Amino acid sequence: RIMPVRWSRYNPSYLEPEVKKDSYQKPLEELTEEEREQMELKAVRPIKAAPPTLSSSVFSDPMVSKFTNMMMKSGNKVLARSLMSQTLEAIKRKQLEKYHKAPENEKETIECNPYVIFHQALNNCQPIIGLSNITKGGKTYQVPVPLTDNRKRFLAMKWLITECRDNKHRRMMMPEKLSQELLLAFNNEGPVIKRKHVLHKMAEANRAYAHFRWW
Amino acid sequence: QLEHGCALHTAARGGLSSVSSQDVPAERPREVFHTSESDPAKHTEQHEGRLYNIPLEEVKAVFPHGLPYRFQQQIRTFNEARVMVRRPALELLACLKGSNLAHPAVRYVIYGERGTGKTMTLCHVVHYCSRQGWLVLHVPDAHLWVKNCKELLQSSYNKDRLDQPLQASVWLKNFKTSNERFLQEIKTQKKYMWGKQESTEEGRPLGEVVEQGLARVRSASDAVGVVLREIKQQSHRGSFRLLVAVDGVNALWGRTTLRKEDKSPVCPEELTLVHNLRKMVRNDWSGGAIVTTLSQTGSLFQPSSAYTPHELLGKEGFDALDPFVPIPVANYSPREFESCYGYYLERKWLQHEKAHTEDGKAELRFLSGSNPRQLDRLAGPL
Repeated sequence: RIMPVRWSRYNPSYLEPEVKKDSYQKPLEELTEEEREQMELKAVRPIKAAPPTLSSSVFSDPMVSKFTNMMMKSGNKVLARSLMSQTLEAIKRKQLEKYHKAPENEKETIECNPYVIFHQALNNCQPIIGLSNITKGGKTYQVPVPLTDNRKRFLAMKWLITECRDNKHRRMMMPEKLSQELLLAFNNEGPVIKRKHVLHKMAEANRAYAHFRWW
Repeated sequence: QLEHGCALHTAARGGLSSVSSQDVPAERPREVFHTSESDPAKHTEQHEGRLYNIPLEEVKAVFPHGLPYRFQQQIRTFNEARVMVRRPALELLACLKGSNLAHPAVRYVIYGERGTGKTMTLCHVVHYCSRQGWLVLHVPDAHLWVKNCKELLQSSYNKDRLDQPLQASVWLKNFKTSNERFLQEIKTQKKYMWGKQESTEEGRPLGEVVEQGLARVRSASDAVGVVLREIKQQSHRGSFRLLVAVDGVNALWGRTTLRKEDKSPVCPEELTLVHNLRKMVRNDWSGGAIVTTLSQTGSLFQPSSAYTPHELLGKEGFDALDPFVPIPVANYSPREFESCYGYYLERKWLQHEKAHTEDGKAELRFLSGSNPRQLDRLAGPL
């Protein structure tokens, strides 16, 4: 008998697995009342299987994993992960070279941590307001609409990846292209930031239709 | 705080006071991992696990083509070339210092699993020999000569053999950069004809043969053969000492991926470069040493788990290289790992906040298994 796995619906009594090491290393006395209750509940209830993307490594970052998944094509996670690590290394090398050549007073302004640059670049690319198609009286209007956090993050990552895949020279490697785009986005320049501004301007232009939204 | 104390303790055990290092441990504890001894001749067990600096001009002169690609990238990023002093290299240097140059050349084979530091050990030895004034014949990767060759010409010297003009000319150019002064001192002992009109007379400096090979790319492989022959014949006189350093020596006795025009496979013997290099690696000459490395990474038709000399060289190669001094290279010892980790931290290569903690260090040690290449690859994105 085959057990369905991919969209399996667990019984609501199943609890999420706890991966972080620190929560298991706390001695009993330091736990608060709620945490003691939580521990007792875990001793009784069954636990869901941990997904393969969930890692207990101190270096794992959920945003980076999400980005790697979006870069992946036809399930080739090995390739996507290696491209991501090469991108982060490329960013680090470029910034370190700039850092070592810069004079003393400018050294503090140069950011060398690739993760900080990645997060800041994604934040800079996130749009604040989006457009959605609403059909009223036979015509479709582009209506400005607030976006959820998940949607903003998704749009930022999607724009970065499509920009790198489409508008660059054919022979340039993906880590090179991505590191360039991320550094430009970190400094609020580049085509992805422009696309965000274009979207904002469209939303501002279609302000009149904002009352078509009913949610 | 814990790792600073640990580093000082290990350094104290290594006899910090007797080492002529200008670093003051109290101020910068991580510089305990460096030594200011940039002459490999003076490296001893006290320097084991430490990194020594090679000045960048020397790197360009001594290593036009020997260093691994990731190490070259590291030199460009950090603006300095730091090589770790490890036990296999120290053993090799001790053997070389004590060797009698009147005897036939001793062959050393550096072997080990993937990514343990064989090429870097070879580069350390090459640096020592070039500092001592030896003539260094460094073949960076013999595998490059048996695969991916676009042009194969039939050799004019011997009808059965095939020439590789591109690889030969690249090697000649790098040989010229590393051994400028010897090319003026060594004179040819025979007249060599390049085709119908050009020839090199007896008694001309070797530099002319090299120029001829670079100018007429078609005869570059023959020029390489002439250079090797002359050097081998004159090494026993004692005017210079010769080091033959070959990386990936198992390529000389394996199979090639090259094909002739009638699509029949090429044996390594049929390539002039390989044929001449095999003659060089035989121990029928005196006045120097032969240091070679086995390499599975670039090898053809070898399983990835093979690392011992017998597996990689095959019967033919093992018999040809037999008697040799085997030098195994292992993963990092705990002290060497601390040294490498400390160096990455000091150079700001490990940027992740968690990489500075004990947990991060333990995780790096576990994930890499103390393998130098894995540690380098892991520390890249962090």
